[in-house]
Amino acid sequence: MNRAAPAGERPPGAIPPSVAVTGAVSLLLVAVLAAPLLDHPGFRAWQTVCVALTVQALPFLLFGTVVSGAVNAFVPARVFSRVLPRNPALAVPVAGAAGVVLPGCECASVPVAGSLIRRGVTPAAAFAFLLSAPAVNPVVLVSTAVAFPGQPAMVAARLVASLATAATMGWLWLKWGRAEWLRMPARHTGHRAGHSRWEEFRTGFQHDFLHAGGFLVVGAMAAACFNVLVPRSVLDVFADSPWLSVLFLAALAVVLAVCSEADAFVAASLTGFSPTARLTFMVVGPMVDVKLIALQAGTFGRAFAVRFSAATAVVAVAAACLTGWWLL
Amino acid sequence: MRRHVQAALLLLTGSAVLHISVLSQVYLRYVKEGLRPFLVASAVLLLLLGVVGAVRDGLPFAPRRTAGEETDDERTADGQAADDERTADEHQHAHGHGRGHGHGHDSGPRVAWLLFLPVLALLLYAPPALGSYTAARETDNAVARVAEFDPLPEADPAPLALSGFIARVQQDRDRSLAGRTVLMTGFVTPAKDRAGTWYLTRLVVSCCAADSRSLRVRVHGAPAPPADTWVTVTGTWHPGGGGALGTATAPVAIDARTVRRVEEPVNPYQDTTPLLP
Repeated sequence: MNRAAPAGERPPGAIPPSVAVTGAVSLLLVAVLAAPLLDHPGFRAWQTVCVALTVQALPFLLFGTVVSGAVNAFVPARVFSRVLPRNPALAVPVAGAAGVVLPGCECASVPVAGSLIRRGVTPAAAFAFLLSAPAVNPVVLVSTAVAFPGQPAMVAARLVASLATAATMGWLWLKWGRAEWLRMPARHTGHRAGHSRWEEFRTGFQHDFLHAGGFLVVGAMAAACFNVLVPRSVLDVFADSPWLSVLFLAALAVVLAVCSEADAFVAASLTGFSPTARLTFMVVGPMVDVKLIALQAGTFGRAFAVRFSAATAVVAVAAACLTGWWLL
Repeated sequence: MRRHVQAALLLLTGSAVLHISVLSQVYLRYVKEGLRPFLVASAVLLLLLGVVGAVRDGLPFAPRRTAGEETDDERTADGQAADDERTADEHQHAHGHGRGHGHGHDSGPRVAWLLFLPVLALLLYAPPALGSYTAARETDNAVARVAEFDPLPEADPAPLALSGFIARVQQDRDRSLAGRTVLMTGFVTPAKDRAGTWYLTRLVVSCCAADSRSLRVRVHGAPAPPADTWVTVTGTWHPGGGGALGTATAPVAIDARTVRRVEEPVNPYQDTTPLLP
């Protein structure tokens, strides 16, 4: 920030007058130029969707950061080495199946996976957990069963395809993943002797929440753009072709960034599409979407987020198609 | 972002969430009702954190440089944070450079400044619920399959939710709507394709406003009120231009008898059966 400014000249945190004036003038300019745009119903809808996505994700993000902060400050690293199999190739499916216990949506799992890696869990296993947790937890499975009444095959297919994708991505990372793609903030080295655990918890939590919260807003803005700009009537164009409809619903899941606890209802409403296409929507959505890519970029670094999301999208579509062909 | 600004941001975020979930029902414009306890818990947690942060680190315009600073000095091994550069992201920079950590500059918690946008929006003007703009751009009427229909309410006109009306028009083989006057509430969406008609509309939400779906009933025989006005319409099913009543191709339309303005309901995304006046 302003490292050059001599300390003590003004209280820390005071804004220099030059900056304040420039800021105020540019704000005013933007306000004047944007005034006609502000009244456009599309922009109003954008604001509402953006705020809605943020408000909806906030409790889950907080929950995820509390868990990750607690893991960081209170759980010793040896717990994980004891619980997870020593062999990373075995640890991947175990961690994927462990995703069943985190009852949250995708916003909660990103900070938790980050803290697992910081605590020495092999990244491949942490990624399997990251992908499976929002897709296979009980809340999501129940909401899927409610959205598709009388179709238990859909719930089973979602569970199978999501676990398969999570495990495949973990193994892919073991085989081809490179540590240098991961650029995690070099904080949180766990509890250090001589420091208060609660104070460590508080500062770690505060940092993680604000950090992820900022990226959440980025993701919500992007998702709101697509949400407002892409008219749903486009859907009908693609509904007839089986292959295009799968790819199209996968892309729709990425750009709409609907919470994993609600995406089953959206999928159920896409009545014109084949069951496999709707399954793809529900498998891709919790694992890859614009909000999630922004959150991952913040937690793991941009180089990682881009590669990982692209690979996950491909694997998820393949897994959903195979499972759909098998079960639906 | 410095520590005392962080404390202020936490306090503001907590108050914004408290404001929409406890002090008013504004949260219903954005998320489903069931999320309320979680929102309240989040608000309490954020306010608590903000208060602890404010006590420890101070607030903007009143930063504290006593107790918190010493622990911070002690924490940074290289003693670099002796001045006011003692925020969390600066720690990250200090450590990061040593490890060839390149992205710290533009993605530290500085990105947290963006949180001020939705927070201030909520506190200052709270964007309105989605309306006709969104409804006009969505696909038509996804209504769940109904196995068996209850008899229509005895009252005349019979109050119905939009989803109930749509399901009865397209699925009810017993034609319970035949010859009956119904009463429904929704907002107005202009119909661009056919002059002299408009849509009585509801948006329904399963989690948050981003996953809204629209329910629309075309209204014949009444001049269109301004878009987004909430109205209660009474009338009878409008035949013509489609299949017979009770088949999948039956037109979802109504011949309006009366159109009356009403207040926007507290929960705009819940397709409830209107109460009789």
